[in-house]
Amino acid sequence: MAVDIIVPKDLWEEEVEGVIVAWLTEEGASVRKGDVVAEIMVKKVQFDILAPAEGRVRILKKADEIIRKGDVIGRIE
Amino acid sequence: MTTVTSNVRKQTIARAMAEAIAQEMRADPRVFVMGEDIGQLGGVFGNTRGLFEEFGPERVRDTPISETAFIGAAVGAATDGMRPVVELMFVDFFGVCMDAIYNLMAKNTYFSGGKLSIPVVLMTATGGGYSDAGQHSQCLHATFAHLPGMKVVAPSNAYDAKGLMISAIRDDNPVIYLFHKALQGMGWLGTEPASIVHVPEEAYTVPIGKAATVREGRDVTIVGITSGVHHALKAAEQLDQKGVSAEVIDLRSLVPLDREHVINSVRKTGRLIVVDEDYQSYGVTGEIIASVVEADISMLKSPPKRVAYPDIPIPFSRPMEQWALPNPAKIVAAYESMVK
Repeated sequence: MAVDIIVPKDLWEEEVEGVIVAWLTEEGASVRKGDVVAEIMVKKVQFDILAPAEGRVRILKKADEIIRKGDVIGRIE
Repeated sequence: MTTVTSNVRKQTIARAMAEAIAQEMRADPRVFVMGEDIGQLGGVFGNTRGLFEEFGPERVRDTPISETAFIGAAVGAATDGMRPVVELMFVDFFGVCMDAIYNLMAKNTYFSGGKLSIPVVLMTATGGGYSDAGQHSQCLHATFAHLPGMKVVAPSNAYDAKGLMISAIRDDNPVIYLFHKALQGMGWLGTEPASIVHVPEEAYTVPIGKAATVREGRDVTIVGITSGVHHALKAAEQLDQKGVSAEVIDLRSLVPLDREHVINSVRKTGRLIVVDEDYQSYGVTGEIIASVVEADISMLKSPPKRVAYPDIPIPFSRPMEQWALPNPAKIVAAYESMVK
């Protein structure tokens, strides 16, 4: 069953946009639950996005794309 | 739809450095870290993240803003058997602590008749491109590489960053570890995607003093280090579209310098361009060219070229700084001027 990789709604406080700095994995790569799969930046602060499950990564939003809290940026299949 | 399967685990240089230090700290209780904001903050460039949480304030020590004091302390601790990894936040700040670096750290082994080893790793951020002006944007490669008694390394990607850090910590000599801010993977400094590569989880070393050929070619050798490697790779792509096959060498270390690697490449291609974000005069570019010319001038089909930082203070203004920095277009132009 696929699990979405979501930017947590409580990751930062203000209603501002962020950006995906880098994916630390690649399309189709296998990850373990809890692995850091992406780094996002809001203003000058960086946050880790963790794999919500074990499986293969599907990337839905690329590096440099603008993101908001709650966005689905990828999926674990 | 086909799915590629792999176990690729990409890391930024910042993460790779932190992982290397953590693994060496677990393996060797003599290894500890000191510097400004390297503790709870994890380093302003992210390269000590997670260390304070794992190892605590005794082994991950935030220092006051006195480079003279804490780099001097690192030299003393190393003399006494510890293996400090100490951070000079920006290489530009070396002025206040240079006596500890080049009169103590670099020379105490010699002055003790070889009785003392000084296994300090001094890691420090280099480079510009993000409008931080002339006191926070320099590379100063040649300043450190010029002074005998210290090894000098500078990775262009996360794989080398981890392996060179582990080699540096295990080395019994002082090692200056230069990391370029634009390659660090900290978004606010700009990020070079090609520096974010697969990094094995286990500890491994990359030998100090060995260059790497990162792209093979026949018509010209382009030599760089840190940011220069990425400019060279992009220039090689552009040259490829014009039918020119460029070889790109990543020096990875400045001391010891892998002259043989460069000479062997130029023997094949007959042309040499050296790229460096440090100032041009009396610099790495001149040293590489001199090394090739001294070995055998007859292998050169045309005079070698330098693409380096002009001999000016680094401007704050974005258009002025971008004008001054090396870039792929300048490398392509350098090649075209060689074959005119």
